[in-house]
Amino acid sequence: MIEAVLAGAVRGGSSILFAALGETVSERAGVINLSTEGSMLCGALAAYATAVETGSAWLGVLAGAAAGMALAMLFAAVVVFRAANQLATGIVVLFLALGVTSLLGRDYVGQGVDGFTRWDVPGLSDIPFVGTVLFAHDPLTYLALLAAPLVWWLMFRTTPGLMVRAAGERPEVLVATGHSPNLVRLAAVAAGGLLAGIGGAQISTALALNWSENMIQGRGFVAVALVIFAAWNPMGALAGALFFGGIESLQLQLQAEGVSVPADLLNALPYLATIAVLVLFSRRRLHAAPDGLTSVFETSP
Amino acid sequence: MTAGPAARAAARMRPGTGLVRWLAAIGAGLAGFALFVAIAGGSPAAALQAIWSSTVVDAVGPGEVLVAAAPVILCALAVAIPAWAGLWNLGGEGQLVVGAIGATVVSQALPSSLGSWAALPLLLAGGAIGGALWCAIPAVLRVTVNLNEAISSLLLSYVALRLLDYLVNGPWKDPRSLGFPQAEPLPDGHRLGGLDWLPVAGGGRLHTGLLIALAAVAAAVVAHRHTTWGFRLRVVGGNGEAARRGGLPVKRLIVGAMVAGGALAGVAGMVQLSGVEFQAKGGIAGAYGFLGFLVSWLVRHDPRWIVLAGIAIGAVRVGGDALQIDANLPAASVNVLLALLLLAILARGRGRRRSA
Amino acid sequence: MSRLVRIPATLGAVLALVLGVAACGDDSSAADSGTSSSEKTVKVGFLYVGPKDDFGYNQAAYEGSLEVAKAFPNVEIIQAENVPENAEAERVMERMISQGATLIFPTSYGHLTPAVNVAKKHPDVVFVHQGGLEPDPKLPNLGTYFGTVYEPVFLAGMAAGKATTSNKLGYVVAFPIPQTLANVNAFELGAKAVNPEATTTVVFTASWCDPAKQAQAANALISQGVDVLTQHQDCTKTIIETAEAAGKKSVGYHYDASSLAPQGWVAGSEWNWGPLYTDIVKTFLDGSFEGSKYDGDYRVGLQTGDNPFVQSPFGPGVDQETKDAIAAAKDEIAAEGVFAGPLKDQSGDEVVPAGTTLTYAEVEQMDFLVEGVVGKLPK
Repeated sequence: MIEAVLAGAVRGGSSILFAALGETVSERAGVINLSTEGSMLCGALAAYATAVETGSAWLGVLAGAAAGMALAMLFAAVVVFRAANQLATGIVVLFLALGVTSLLGRDYVGQGVDGFTRWDVPGLSDIPFVGTVLFAHDPLTYLALLAAPLVWWLMFRTTPGLMVRAAGERPEVLVATGHSPNLVRLAAVAAGGLLAGIGGAQISTALALNWSENMIQGRGFVAVALVIFAAWNPMGALAGALFFGGIESLQLQLQAEGVSVPADLLNALPYLATIAVLVLFSRRRLHAAPDGLTSVFETSP
Repeated sequence: MTAGPAARAAARMRPGTGLVRWLAAIGAGLAGFALFVAIAGGSPAAALQAIWSSTVVDAVGPGEVLVAAAPVILCALAVAIPAWAGLWNLGGEGQLVVGAIGATVVSQALPSSLGSWAALPLLLAGGAIGGALWCAIPAVLRVTVNLNEAISSLLLSYVALRLLDYLVNGPWKDPRSLGFPQAEPLPDGHRLGGLDWLPVAGGGRLHTGLLIALAAVAAAVVAHRHTTWGFRLRVVGGNGEAARRGGLPVKRLIVGAMVAGGALAGVAGMVQLSGVEFQAKGGIAGAYGFLGFLVSWLVRHDPRWIVLAGIAIGAVRVGGDALQIDANLPAASVNVLLALLLLAILARGRGRRRSA
Repeated sequence: MSRLVRIPATLGAVLALVLGVAACGDDSSAADSGTSSSEKTVKVGFLYVGPKDDFGYNQAAYEGSLEVAKAFPNVEIIQAENVPENAEAERVMERMISQGATLIFPTSYGHLTPAVNVAKKHPDVVFVHQGGLEPDPKLPNLGTYFGTVYEPVFLAGMAAGKATTSNKLGYVVAFPIPQTLANVNAFELGAKAVNPEATTTVVFTASWCDPAKQAQAANALISQGVDVLTQHQDCTKTIIETAEAAGKKSVGYHYDASSLAPQGWVAGSEWNWGPLYTDIVKTFLDGSFEGSKYDGDYRVGLQTGDNPFVQSPFGPGVDQETKDAIAAAKDEIAAEGVFAGPLKDQSGDEVVPAGTTLTYAEVEQMDFLVEGVVGKLPK
């Protein structure tokens, strides 16, 4: 049973992981994007529609990434260049994404898709326990697991990563070296939307094999919270996403084994646990927060 | 930051360039929506006509707009008051829900024969206490462990929704509801009276919850401009460090502002329970918390303008029905309309650059 | 960039996005726009709780409304989707009435209370509610109707009982309410009728449509050895597709999804509202609604007439012997009902004594799971 719960955590957490990694990049540049949920929705629909029309799930992922990025760039244009409030703009852009994806998604609701199928990693998937948990999933899930260290490396070991972090903490350094902090922020938010779009694509074309309106069901907001939970660290986001996926998986697995669970209270657990972790590690997290983010929460418009 | 948000809002609202920009933004939003409708295969004229007719011309239209506006206004105040002190309350949705839970708890504890003059204030108190307690959690976390209140209040909203789900699916489930998750209906004495005698109500279901919302706005206007408390909150919001050095009890002010905001969102929950739904059920939140957040931000947390903006959002909500019924557009159109209007208003700003 | 340039530039970006995506698709709204020509003299309103093209419950109701429009050229259909199950539904119905609707179909259970409230204010408008019960005292201008969904589910359960090789069936349910419990029980009883070893494991998702969670629930069931999956959800595609992808079998609900699962589709149950809606509208147009069978709690099943909830086509793996057995069982249900005693609940207590059968009204109060169902009801 533990095996099944952990496998479910990996499979169900990977979409949230993509979104949380994207939001990490965005917030490292000093921009909090509450429309991550919207980017996931756009990614889910674009991937599904493209996969249906072309028959290629991989083309779908590209379309999903592009759609998620397009929405994030709209958000960034208003926030970075018009200096509009980030939290409010995020919610407004989410409304737009909800409306537009509902309208455009209608034709795809009843259509089947040739989505991603499970691809067992040769050799590794035969390892007892570990094989089932880690190496018997859809390709996008592997991609998510690889993306976490990759984003960590990009953020902390490369020049672009340094520029993103500078945009969030020491924008004057960027200016001094002849770069535009706003352009770096735009790029970081766009990259964040791209990753969230892939997360949406994982749900629609790999996990649920379905498109229905508002199908992300709050997972984008969870991703935003996980970023803080993870102290803006991609590897922490990996842990957080697996934790959230694990709670959902555990709850369903217990039921499937005939154990009664208070489902409503268990469903509240990830949110409570996130708050609890934030409280426990608040001092460390405070230091980890990009300076640029603190200004986000000032009420000045 | 040189001037408080309120001062800037006042400047923005003065007739002149600010007003022109507002009107231009709203016009641009509507024009964008009309174009969207045309390309989606509908009739822009019919769509705009549907909004106008359902919100203004229809006998019950204006009353329905006000019914929708009351909880939005209260939830906007719940954002505005903490915002004076520089705090983001993103949890209005959850505080509304816990307010409705609190009012239901009170209602169930009271004898149903109790007159409404005694019952309603108690229900109102139950709602306010529920919302205040729920909002006190992020406030206390903010002043003790410096946990950001925007995130914690948003997360607690999801917890509140699950709590209500649990109650209406379990202990509170009305046995006569064929298993549909809702609590037993409130007795008549626990319901807010109608305002159907008002001409604007058109004989519809406008209720005294509107008066509660307007009274709250009046109190907030006074508190904002004419009390020491409001002044101190604005000082904390302007520069917390300076306020602390100046000897202000910053932590107490922060908790007070959040608790006051949460109480108002909780009152919105009581108003929806006793004035509109008449029983606790999962759908009671109705996104009013999020809409209230947008309203408060739209008017830069100035309570004087919250009524107007709240009515505008109420009108979009009511007009959204007519987009479907009269103009035969899909339900999602209303989200596009709302988003385009607000984006146009967002993009109208002064183009002030971030300190970079 | 100067300010004057920037405002149009941002708006332009917004418009380009919105218009770009609008141009890409959606001709459905154009197709829906009924011509309101002058011969349309009667307006009938339909409310749906979800999107009217959800490939499930709401789409079935929407398609029923299209049949009404086809049957009566003088009837104009007006409709609203995504109508929440709260007092906002009252506002929607009021608007329909002010637009001239004289007959309204609120099609979701949670629309009942709002419909009752609006019906009291508009005695001249008739309301027919899908799935609820008349208030006490009953209203002359309101009635309710529903099919007996668990009858075809029982028959589908028989097909599932034959199809399983692990003797483990799985049921993904949104919430534990009488209607869903009746379905789970009927499914297990049907399976046991042909395969005494068959058990049905039930998982609740606490949402009518959360595809990602549905997929996880299906995977959890599959990990327990379940090889035939069915569901009670509003959006139905995920369970079917997940089962198919895992090489398992599936039983449909609400809607015929057999084309999505060419390998694993076993059987299913789906709505066919057209005839019933059409008859209700005809009764109304004849001016004889009051006092008719629809002016009350009209329940129709195999015992009383044509059930609007019908069997979907069988899948390729169902043999003739099973089909014959199911046909015979259908006649038996028509004679004595699905929940005929003796029936025991999960703890072995007798809940329906021998010689008695639960009435339609009793089934709508169901609060137990029968012997053979695995999984607990939340307390």
